[in-house]
Amino acid sequence: MGKENTFAFFLGCIMPNRYPQIEKATKYIMEKLGYTLLDMERATCCPAPGVFRSFNKFDWMVAAARNLCIAERLDVDILTVCNGCFGTLQEVNKHLKENEEHRDKVNEKLKLLGDYEFKGTINVRHIAEVLGYEVGPWGIEDAIIRKVNARAAVHYGCHFLKPTRIREIESSESPTIIEEFIEALGVKSVRFKEQLTCCGAGGGVKAYDGNASMTIFSEKMKNIDEVKPDFILDICPFCHLQFETGQDYLNKNKGCNYDYPVIHLSQITAYCMGMDQEFIGLQYQLMGRDYIFGGEEIKKGEEEAI
Amino acid sequence: MSDVEETSREFKTDDDFDKDFFKNIERKSNIWACIQCGTCTASCESGRWTALKTRSIIRKVVLGDLSVLKDPDIWLCTTCYQCYERCPRDVRPTDVIMELRNYATKLGNISPNHRAVVGYLKSTGHAVPINDAIKKQRADLGLDELPPTMYKFKDEKNSDLKKIEKEMFDLPPIKEEEKDIKEEEGE
Repeated sequence: MGKENTFAFFLGCIMPNRYPQIEKATKYIMEKLGYTLLDMERATCCPAPGVFRSFNKFDWMVAAARNLCIAERLDVDILTVCNGCFGTLQEVNKHLKENEEHRDKVNEKLKLLGDYEFKGTINVRHIAEVLGYEVGPWGIEDAIIRKVNARAAVHYGCHFLKPTRIREIESSESPTIIEEFIEALGVKSVRFKEQLTCCGAGGGVKAYDGNASMTIFSEKMKNIDEVKPDFILDICPFCHLQFETGQDYLNKNKGCNYDYPVIHLSQITAYCMGMDQEFIGLQYQLMGRDYIFGGEEIKKGEEEAI
Repeated sequence: MSDVEETSREFKTDDDFDKDFFKNIERKSNIWACIQCGTCTASCESGRWTALKTRSIIRKVVLGDLSVLKDPDIWLCTTCYQCYERCPRDVRPTDVIMELRNYATKLGNISPNHRAVVGYLKSTGHAVPINDAIKKQRADLGLDELPPTMYKFKDEKNSDLKKIEKEMFDLPPIKEEEKDIKEEEGE
């Protein structure tokens, strides 16, 4: 359970090595909200549940347990911003806490990697759940300085909520956690056809068969394009990567003309809390580089008078 | 008489089953509860666009048809967990496919792209390694050029990365046929 209001910040791979602006934004919002984020030195890939779990489930658990041990030493819960990292770390953490036989086996192999022993003393959290349930739309109201008037296509991704019996956050068939939170930021979620389907990147499919991955993705984009949102809002850097490179691929190869900015929940929250648009980093992304958030400053004095 | 003999040969015998494999699958999923209702295939977000037919894969496993281990379709599951959530018999098809992939990997049925990802993890600690453009972008954003992950500490004395490279995710060698194809492509 660890110290209050402090997290071990698990970076993963795609956020620090492809979209560091999400890392910047997450640090900004968490510190402004009064949390302390600790570095997890020597952490590796979570390892990714789609690929590495497919090759060797046991080694996948050992490598994940090694990352968990780094946070256990810091005696704080882990914060992730990626559905994949969350999926792996939350699942392995929960499994090894419950299954003594596997815990012993994993600890045995962990000795080969250094001075590690999984004890099961911490929990693993996802930024969307921390913002949605712990900070909450009620709490963020006081922390933001502006609201954006925008319509967003919200993409939950798969591993934040599913498998529901392991994640225990909320129903995967009609979730509302993100919608309720972003409403406080002035962002309206627009419903679109088959909103909760996969982006097509997971399970190692993007690496295994790029064409199949793009076929699944193109249908997703078609449904999003029907409702013409201002931007796509995600909570996972891997989905982020798929929406970015996928739109680019469809434009170049399939005669599409998409230019929807792709924005992580951390990025939009940071903007509303006062971070300059320059640091939100759309200029580094492939899509929607010219998009300007705009929005209205909140005049706190007046609100209080009402 | 001969007709009967011919027919009986078509049925699987005990010798056709890999007992460890089935014991493993049985222990880790609920596969014998499958009633072939097709909820998995109907919910499959990959199968709508690809050849992946989850119900048929589950059926083959139940019947002991080990051809599924060579079936490229098992690698088209995006692990979206829709079938897992909706299966009325709690078969957990995603877990079954994961077991099949683990087993297929042991037999060497693993794609070159996936081998490359394992290589990245072993050499950098990341499935997606950093590059120079991102290092500059990180500096521009006011972050450290290198995140404080394993890669930053790769050259320290007694580095964990060397141990990870040695101990983790050992893959069987590339099969001879694949090597031939690779060499031909190389030319």
